[in-house]
Amino acid sequence: MSRLHNRLWYLVFTVPLIMIFTIVVLIPFLIGIFYSFFEWDGIAANPMIYVGFDHYIELLSDGRFLNSAWLTVKFTFFSVILVNILGLGFALLVTTALKSSNFARTMFFMPNLIGGLILGYIWQFIFSDVLKMLGEATGYDQIFFNWLLDKDFAMYALVIVFAWQMAGYMMIIYIAGIQSIPNDVIEAAKIDGASYWQRLKNIMFPLLMPSFTISMFLTLSFGFKIYDTNLSLTNGGPVNQTELFAMHIYNEIFGYGNYGYGQAKAIIFFIVVAAITLTQVYLTKKREVEM
Amino acid sequence: MKLKSFWVALLLGLVLVLSACSGGDSDDESAESNGEKITIFQTKVEISEQMEELAEIYEEETGVEVEVWGTTGDDYFQQLQTRLNSNQGPSILSLQDYKKAENIKSYLHDLSGEEFIDNIAPNMAVEIDGEVVGIPYGVEGFGLVYNKDLVSEEDIQDYDSFVNTLERLSNEGVDPLTLSSEAYFLIGHMSNYPFSLQEDHFEYIDQLSEGEVTMTETPEFQEFGKFLEAIREYSPNPMDYTYDEQMGDFATGKTAMVHQGNWAMGMLADYDYDFEVGMMPFPLAGNDKLAVGVGANWAVNGTKDEAEIEAAVDFLEWLHTSETGQRFVVEEFGFVPAMTNIEANDLDVLSDIVLEYSNSGETIPWAQNYYPASVVTNDFMPAAQDFFLDENISGEDFIQLFDEAWQNAVK
Repeated sequence: MSRLHNRLWYLVFTVPLIMIFTIVVLIPFLIGIFYSFFEWDGIAANPMIYVGFDHYIELLSDGRFLNSAWLTVKFTFFSVILVNILGLGFALLVTTALKSSNFARTMFFMPNLIGGLILGYIWQFIFSDVLKMLGEATGYDQIFFNWLLDKDFAMYALVIVFAWQMAGYMMIIYIAGIQSIPNDVIEAAKIDGASYWQRLKNIMFPLLMPSFTISMFLTLSFGFKIYDTNLSLTNGGPVNQTELFAMHIYNEIFGYGNYGYGQAKAIIFFIVVAAITLTQVYLTKKREVEM
Repeated sequence: MKLKSFWVALLLGLVLVLSACSGGDSDDESAESNGEKITIFQTKVEISEQMEELAEIYEEETGVEVEVWGTTGDDYFQQLQTRLNSNQGPSILSLQDYKKAENIKSYLHDLSGEEFIDNIAPNMAVEIDGEVVGIPYGVEGFGLVYNKDLVSEEDIQDYDSFVNTLERLSNEGVDPLTLSSEAYFLIGHMSNYPFSLQEDHFEYIDQLSEGEVTMTETPEFQEFGKFLEAIREYSPNPMDYTYDEQMGDFATGKTAMVHQGNWAMGMLADYDYDFEVGMMPFPLAGNDKLAVGVGANWAVNGTKDEAEIEAAVDFLEWLHTSETGQRFVVEEFGFVPAMTNIEANDLDVLSDIVLEYSNSGETIPWAQNYYPASVVTNDFMPAAQDFFLDENISGEDFIQLFDEAWQNAVK
């Protein structure tokens, strides 16, 4: 009886979620795969022409697509490194017996509460006006110029903004990880004469592996999927040098009206992101240690 | 007891799900409203409030309920597309560029038979396959908006005088001409000139898409490249300017000319400027005609039932023939009317100039309405950014980039 009961309760809580997930994620995803085999402009009244795998073949020689893919990989690579270094650094900083550590935590986390769109506009002002003014005032105009107008630096500007937004979030995850490390282990190491660096490397990091797994996974997938900050900060410019994957797909579908082709890109995008993140989770999971 | 609370929870859940589903149906009911209610979904954000006011007046006068849906501007077509696809389209919609209008042709009601259509100024109606499907909101024009204290129209007649003027102004310490970094202001509008100056720009665009001609070999484009080089040489980098900054500098006399249209008056009026403003044609290949065209058009959704279509057409007729409607078009919306039966008094300076050129027929068309979809934002823009950021790209190279951009958009 009670077993049945539990099961019923289990259903009450999961079925609505499963339903929603099916309706807004699974079904559209399957329909998306279906559409990617057709030449279609996205308007219901217009004909859909079956083209089989043509779109997927066409993709391989689409320069702008490949360029966008490469840019996205580059962006994600730098972001993952910067976000996690900053996040971990902040976490180590605010878990020490600092007086203002609570205040610092709040401040570090704050950027994450601002929406990506608004954040992009704020930083647009910083990059285009503040940096330029700094350059004029200090004379270091090799570093202080409008980064958003430079084909290479625009990408780094995007990385900085993304890191600024995400580092606080990752900090929270690392803090939780650090706090779950039992004090006696650290103390034992201290008594044995381990330096701070040795404690960090040999005790903290291995025990923090689960946090690394989560943080890396989140930054990887957020980095690949970035759209809002990309849109408001650079809108793909200059010269398409910051047109990342999500934006590229949007432009293909709604800009050129190639619904089927854009869908094919989205499917490939999904496969790539899934493959990379799963590999990462597998690799970092392997290094997690049991206490 | 426990089982009871389970059923209560299930019931609550069901109610929630069901009520969420029914929320979406409300728009659909209008489809069977027998012409007592019409819906409008249009693109211009700046007239949204006035539309609502107009809707109330119309309902009082005729008893037909008009529902105006909010719009977000830029992604209008995407939103429209989504609604049409789910059979929840509006009864009256806007058409912007011609290629997109062709895409949704099957949704558009043929307005050809209507009497008030005859009042549309020549060549201003949207026609597809010989059917009139769009009624222009109004005409707009763009060109060089200039400060009469610093420049006069005689100064700028062709390429040589244009460059001389830029040089003179630049020596005097004023920025001669600024563009701004938004896709349409940077290159979209500018790119019209070499197209519009072709003998038949429809044919030229078709030939271009077919690959029968290239811009590189067309004299107007070659000269266009030289013009852009001159602008890059004497003007501040347009990529550093937003529309606001551009107009701000113009209003305070720091800039002598901007490339804008009559819509810029709205922004300019916010400033306390103390000079006379004029607008003149862009002198590409000695051009002396203003680029005048239609930004957006009204259209009726032909997939609705008879009664609703009729009600929608009635509304548009009322808007363009009744006294109240006409007053709204001119005074409240601030349009330069594209209908010969609408009198326009008290227009602002720039709109007046547009109307003058338009009435005298001294105009060149907006070729941009016939460009491949999104070519300006997706393909022209990166090419233009490249040109303005990299001094090593000559005007000639730029036109080549333009050719590539076009081919990329039509493939």
